Amino acid sequence: MKLNNLLQLPLVLASFLAPTFVSAEHTSNWAVLVSTSRFWFNYRHLANVLSLYRTVKRLGIPDSQIILMLPDDMACNPRNAFPGTVYSNADRAVDLYGDNIEVDYRGYEVTVENFIRLLTDRMGEEMPRSKRLLTDDRSNILVYMTGHGGNEFLKFQDAEEISAFDLADAFEQMWEKKRYHEILFMIDTCQANTMYSKFYSPNIIATGSSEIDQSSYSHHADNDVGVAVIDRYTYYNLDFLETQVREPSSKMTLGDLFDSYDESKIHSHPGVRWDLFPGGEPGGRERLVMDFFGNVQNVEVDNAGNATEWKEDILALGKKIAELRKRADEADAAAAESENSSTAHPLFEAYTPQRIRASKVEVDDKWWGKKAIGAWALAGCSLVWLVGTYLEAP
Amino acid sequence: MRQLQSLLFVIGFFFLGTSASDYHEQLLLRPLHPSLLLASFNFQSNTSWESFEQQNFRYFPRSLGQILQHANTRELHLRFSLGRWDAESWGARPWGGAREGGTGVELWAWVEAETDEEANGRWLTLTNALSGLFCASLNFIDSTRTTRPVMSFQPSEGHANSTLENLHLLHGTLPREVVCTENLTPFLKLLPCKGKAGISSLLDGHKLFDASWQSMSIDVRPICAAGESDCQLQITQTIDMVLDIQRSKRPRDNPIPRPVPFEELKCDHSKPYNSHDTCYPLDTAAQEEGWSLSQIFGHSLKGSCPLATDGVDPVCINVPHARHVFTSNGAQEHKDPGGFLRCFGLASEGDFDITLPQQDISEKAPLEQPLLYAERSFIGYGQERGGVQAILTNPSPTQSVDFVYMESIPWFMKLYLHTLKAKINGLDKDVIQEMYYRPALDRKRGTQLEVRILIPANSTVVLTYDFEKAILRYTEYPPDANRGFDIAPAVITIGNVSIRTTSLLLPLPTPDFSMPYNVIILTSTVMALSFGFVFNLLVRRFVAVDEADQWDVRSVRLKIAAAARRLLLRFRKRAVVKKDQ
Repeated sequence: MKLNNLLQLPLVLASFLAPTFVSAEHTSNWAVLVSTSRFWFNYRHLANVLSLYRTVKRLGIPDSQIILMLPDDMACNPRNAFPGTVYSNADRAVDLYGDNIEVDYRGYEVTVENFIRLLTDRMGEEMPRSKRLLTDDRSNILVYMTGHGGNEFLKFQDAEEISAFDLADAFEQMWEKKRYHEILFMIDTCQANTMYSKFYSPNIIATGSSEIDQSSYSHHADNDVGVAVIDRYTYYNLDFLETQVREPSSKMTLGDLFDSYDESKIHSHPGVRWDLFPGGEPGGRERLVMDFFGNVQNVEVDNAGNATEWKEDILALGKKIAELRKRADEADAAAAESENSSTAHPLFEAYTPQRIRASKVEVDDKWWGKKAIGAWALAGCSLVWLVGTYLEAP
Repeated sequence: MRQLQSLLFVIGFFFLGTSASDYHEQLLLRPLHPSLLLASFNFQSNTSWESFEQQNFRYFPRSLGQILQHANTRELHLRFSLGRWDAESWGARPWGGAREGGTGVELWAWVEAETDEEANGRWLTLTNALSGLFCASLNFIDSTRTTRPVMSFQPSEGHANSTLENLHLLHGTLPREVVCTENLTPFLKLLPCKGKAGISSLLDGHKLFDASWQSMSIDVRPICAAGESDCQLQITQTIDMVLDIQRSKRPRDNPIPRPVPFEELKCDHSKPYNSHDTCYPLDTAAQEEGWSLSQIFGHSLKGSCPLATDGVDPVCINVPHARHVFTSNGAQEHKDPGGFLRCFGLASEGDFDITLPQQDISEKAPLEQPLLYAERSFIGYGQERGGVQAILTNPSPTQSVDFVYMESIPWFMKLYLHTLKAKINGLDKDVIQEMYYRPALDRKRGTQLEVRILIPANSTVVLTYDFEKAILRYTEYPPDANRGFDIAPAVITIGNVSIRTTSLLLPLPTPDFSMPYNVIILTSTVMALSFGFVFNLLVRRFVAVDEADQWDVRSVRLKIAAAARRLLLRFRKRAVVKKDQ
């Protein structure tokens, strides 16, 4: 027994060491892109999120793996002079809304509750798959948020807030449920860096647009749209992604991305948090931008070469299917038999369940009759009372 | 009337050809007004019931088919609409209003279930699944927005008699729902040609959502030939839109109207004051505007859809034969003998375009008169109560109209049924034939009201009722509560024709949303003050100044010394006791 254990030691060790070797390996990429501001004057927040949506789509993440949350409608807003269009630049070169867009949560659906439910996958069974984050422990997730925030909170639709603690706990729950491999968290709000200060789960790289007590500013306005169209931090992120990360084979690293931030241009101090990431800053800087913004599919082959095992599995599966089918047929036959026998009982046949239905409003024909009965009753009562007072009278 | 017949002839194509599995598409263009154009896109495909059950989909979209099977839905109608149909100047609605919904999203379906609870469960599944498929918040159709109309909607005739008993009709509306490109994208993906070829290639969110009125619809209904066992399932998708020709012709990157340069101004030279710096613009309303498909839709039609069955011309235009119509090469023109309709068969490859040049023409395709004009508005004032008034006019000089007026009202608009009155031409008269009513329960369900009314020829009925506005709980208000709450349009059904009024915007009394914070701050202050006061009273003894012990260093020193001595004594005692043990 002991010898056996000793022999297994290298294996056990290997399994401990394995995560460090395969830590670069992820098999799917997901993006959660959230804008949290309603109302027309917050056009730029939707433009921020839509430009990120276009970028991750351009780099290969399919619509089915992007969760897009838009709290208001800017494209078809009556105030928009360009119907069906959202622009993030005054040159109006790229229509972000385009012809092919899938919005997963929109309007009043964008709430703190729905956002946390999405991250932690606590949903009713009726929730369609397109509105769920179906990640596993081999999924890299890009979480991008933008809106109006403050010290350790972010406003949703001007009506409620998510705090940095809520967000940190949601990520911890995701980690415990093995719902991610690595997360890149980006946030563009005022005092953004406070939002990730409470994170305590591993494998997260976080970056934000501004330090505590600093505002994040918009970049420029379009006079025909009438409002600011993009925020500075997002603008320079996009600038890097558009000019440096041109194709999915790009070897640009997160270090390159974060080094490109120029505080004199962004007008605030962007922050990066590395300490949760295995390998810390040097390890995190080496990660490719494409690990989070693109769709890199690594394939893991499980137990390759063991042909007999999967053949046995398939055989067992076939047997199981045959057995289930037989059972279903038997159940069908039994049901048919009971149906036949139930015809002997006309009582059950006649029973029809009562339906919920609006009731018919009808004119009451007996209205005068009811009035007469009431009048007689009243008259009788007063008669009894009169008789009583007469008899009691001295 | 002749023109109507020819229209019916075109539409009739869709109902005649029902082979095992086929697909048709047709675009009908109809100028409504010199500068307005109605474009009706119609896509229809059939599948046999057997292949649907076996999940053998050909033209029928798999994504929708699986949802229908999962939710046991036998018939489905889904509508996305925007804008208002101006019946006074545009005439009767396309398809008799049958392919149209109220502003926002409207959904009704016949669900097969044994009990009401089961039907509700399946309805929940259906609305959630469709919300995922169509990127719309259809999951907000909960019990408060769901009704079960009695008279307004009837199932199609194709249902088997065995299932008919177990069918439950459920109806829900979302008048606040925005309709935008993300709804059009999944709509196009359901089509066999996916918007890449055929008439669907003209559909573009930038034009569709710039329309004065638009409606997208999906209908799935069973069709059974009488006495035959093989039934079919038919899916019809339509998009109708009313485009402003001048607005559509503006370039996409510069849609904001700018002043016309002086050289392009067309002046009325007959005016006495006309000079080089004074201009009275010419009235161009009498002239037919010149337009082409590529100008209006942004690009030309990209060839015919190869999956469409032959026999139906994909593009038709409803203009008098005297109007000049030019098409690109390879298209065959078929003129209808009625005089107002011509259709075009397309070449399988190559782009197709129609051009109608500017033309002075007095002859116009006649507009069909609607059976009924309906409008609805709020009356009354104040934050507490209000009223609704619906004005229904029968324009026909000879025929009376029998119709069903249906309202589904949210629970926070509390209807008083006893105030419901119908006046005909200003006189109280009994015009209400029949009425169905289901009262609201707070936070559980809304009010449902169906009234059958008979309007005599050439008269107006004014239907009024009063309601009370509820005060919601703080958390029940939406983020933009001060905008008001949308009330779903009333549905008016006259046989196969249906009309929807516009939606209403109900302002409810809203609190000052910073109020809770004020309350919290004030209450905390009061509590802190009173607590401090009581606590002080409890733990301190209040004495007059002259009664208080004088502060003396010596007395403190003595007190400390006494305490120390006492402690010492206690320790010693303990030591003695231990020794004894």
